[in-house]
Amino acid sequence: MTFWQFLLADLRAIVTDKAIAITLFGGVLFYSVLYPLPYLNQVPTEQMLVVIDHDGSSLSRRLIRHADASPKITVTGRVSTIETAQSWIESGRANGLLVIPHGFRKDLMLGRGSTLSYGGDANYFLIYSAVVEGLVSVGLDAGKYVQLVGLLAHGENAKAAERSLNAVKLNSVPAFNPSLGYTPYVVPGVLLLVLHQTLLIGTGILGAGQWQNQGYWRRVSPLMLISGRICVFFLIYTLFTSLYVGHCYYWYGVSVQATLWQVALFLLPFLLSTAVTGIAFSCLFTRRDLPTQVLLLISMPILFVSGFVWPLELIPDPLIWISTIIPAVPAIIGMLQLNQMGASWASIMPLWLHLWGLFALFFMLALYGVNKRLKREPNSEL
Amino acid sequence: MTSLIRRELKALWNDPWQFALVTYIPILGIISLWWLFSAGMPRQLPVAIVDHDQSQLSRMLARRIQASPAAKPIGYQDIASAKRAMTQGEVYALVVLPYRLKRDLLTGHSPTIEIRYNSQFLLVGKLLSSQIQLSLADGLLHVASKKQLALGVPKAQAEINLRPVTSQTTALYNSNSNYIGFLVPPVLLALGQLLAMLVFANSLNRELRLNTMSEWFSLGTRRVLFAKMLVYTPLIVLQGRFILAVLYQFLNLPLAGGFGLLLVAQVAMLLAVWLIVLVIFFLLQDCARVISFCTALFAPAFPFMGITFPTLDMPMLAQLWRKLMPSSHYIDTHVGVVSYGQGWDTLADQLINYWGFLFLVPVIVFLAKRVKRAHLAEQSHSPEGAK
Repeated sequence: MTFWQFLLADLRAIVTDKAIAITLFGGVLFYSVLYPLPYLNQVPTEQMLVVIDHDGSSLSRRLIRHADASPKITVTGRVSTIETAQSWIESGRANGLLVIPHGFRKDLMLGRGSTLSYGGDANYFLIYSAVVEGLVSVGLDAGKYVQLVGLLAHGENAKAAERSLNAVKLNSVPAFNPSLGYTPYVVPGVLLLVLHQTLLIGTGILGAGQWQNQGYWRRVSPLMLISGRICVFFLIYTLFTSLYVGHCYYWYGVSVQATLWQVALFLLPFLLSTAVTGIAFSCLFTRRDLPTQVLLLISMPILFVSGFVWPLELIPDPLIWISTIIPAVPAIIGMLQLNQMGASWASIMPLWLHLWGLFALFFMLALYGVNKRLKREPNSEL
Repeated sequence: MTSLIRRELKALWNDPWQFALVTYIPILGIISLWWLFSAGMPRQLPVAIVDHDQSQLSRMLARRIQASPAAKPIGYQDIASAKRAMTQGEVYALVVLPYRLKRDLLTGHSPTIEIRYNSQFLLVGKLLSSQIQLSLADGLLHVASKKQLALGVPKAQAEINLRPVTSQTTALYNSNSNYIGFLVPPVLLALGQLLAMLVFANSLNRELRLNTMSEWFSLGTRRVLFAKMLVYTPLIVLQGRFILAVLYQFLNLPLAGGFGLLLVAQVAMLLAVWLIVLVIFFLLQDCARVISFCTALFAPAFPFMGITFPTLDMPMLAQLWRKLMPSSHYIDTHVGVVSYGQGWDTLADQLINYWGFLFLVPVIVFLAKRVKRAHLAEQSHSPEGAK
């Protein structure tokens, strides 16, 4: 059997196997839509706020109007006690509460100071931070307003008064993901993980179904089987990767910084090492329904150890060490730095070499595993 | 029935992978996911500080940032090297204290302190941004209060003049914003749902793999199914109880309601999962394909739970898909019981929300009958049996 014949046979085996086709073609397309779907609105806005206004003054009403005007908050109602507000939150009619104390305006005008209380449902951190950010800026604004009125009353000139209130400007700007959107945050990492997992599943099912049977894969040497299979999956995944990194990134508004060639060069060892990892991995199985199950169970942990959800600094070291043998982990970290954060090639070079190292390691393991699997005689009855 | 249950238990015992799925894999998964998030709160995250002023004031501000539990300042000499560290993910934020900061402040010009934070790592970035701003604002307030005192304002009054409106922020139901209480329950729930799906799908697939479908049909289609449910529902609920024990008894996270409600809700969720798996099983009738399809369906359950990103802010289509996932129904009950201490009446309302899954029952009956007919036809064609 020549190399080309093997490539064609392998390609045919992949495309005609429905279990593999569901995962590869179905899964890759389905996930490119489904994973980003919940996040399409990017930022949580208009969180429901319930107000407990014990003051009922012009200033408290002004404060409530300002809260309602904030894009993050919408005031859905006013109640008289905190208990009622809490029952609103528990029944899902509100996400947060604002308490304006009795004598709020009077105390401020007399220069006594007053305290506003905010609360947000911290079961949902994004809701909580939206409510609190909205209210803090409203509260600061009210404070500034009172100070300004005070300064003007003391006869200060309006411009000087404003300047003395904003003595130092704090200019805090988000870098790399300027809109603070959720899809640019989640999509780059998750899509790479989808590529990684489906590729492993595809090679896993294909191998697991073949080891105990007779077929074209027994007519070639292990070395040829491995390199041929890598070529076939690499070819298919070049298309998928182009779809994901080329089109989906663009479609979901991910910020893209690297050049095409840098991205291609970086993803080359990623696809190669993942494909060969998949072949090595497939040698562990003879049941076609098992590789998917194992990979399904480890996908969430892989996502979390790749460091963009939960900072790497906080993950226990042993977990980090284990994660270094998974090609997806250096690939996600490297791609985020290269393509989203605009790191130079020199700085991600170690990760690139790491991927090549994994390729070499798993190539050896695959060679050992395939050799062992093919030496054993196929089941006689099949 | 007891003999059928014994048949299932024997099958479970003879399949090492299935046995692993109900015993040590869940324990491993729970421990490793908890371990991953065990830090609980983001602390000591590296922040680059470029101090161009080198004054007493700028050093005081840097110390303020150091005092914040979230940040660990690292000094950089110039912006270029700080920027490089930031693009490599070595630091998560960058603070530039400008040249002549102190002088401008004292002479009444308003200088600007630049803060850049890494929003590609959204969670860390947003947290650092607010913490750094808080620390700096606090430090600057300290300077301003000196000015007030110099003008002869009494100390108590000076503080009020500077900050007439103070605020008291409360994180309801998770008072220290602990990520273990926030993220670990839904993550473990997603894992639990995957395990439940796999265990049940494997138990159905075994009949296909070992060619025992005709045995199944002769034993009574429904009776075998009930036996499977009777074996696996308690086993998976036991896993669920273990997760709850780890979270709310071992780690002592606050729990307002009772375990009973949660376990009832878990049973309802599992029944819904069983129904979905049954539809797919009778539809596809191939081990690897059943697993692949179920995987495709259940793998993305986590983002749809609405914990990380609020449900009401999802587009309509996502909200509809969310309704198809049993885990999203369960998580509502979970939050209700754990945080709000909801009672049985609310639980009853939530259980009614599962009504849509009942439509799967006639579908399953129809598909099962079709499979059975096909099997009987196959057997009558080859009277010697399948082989």
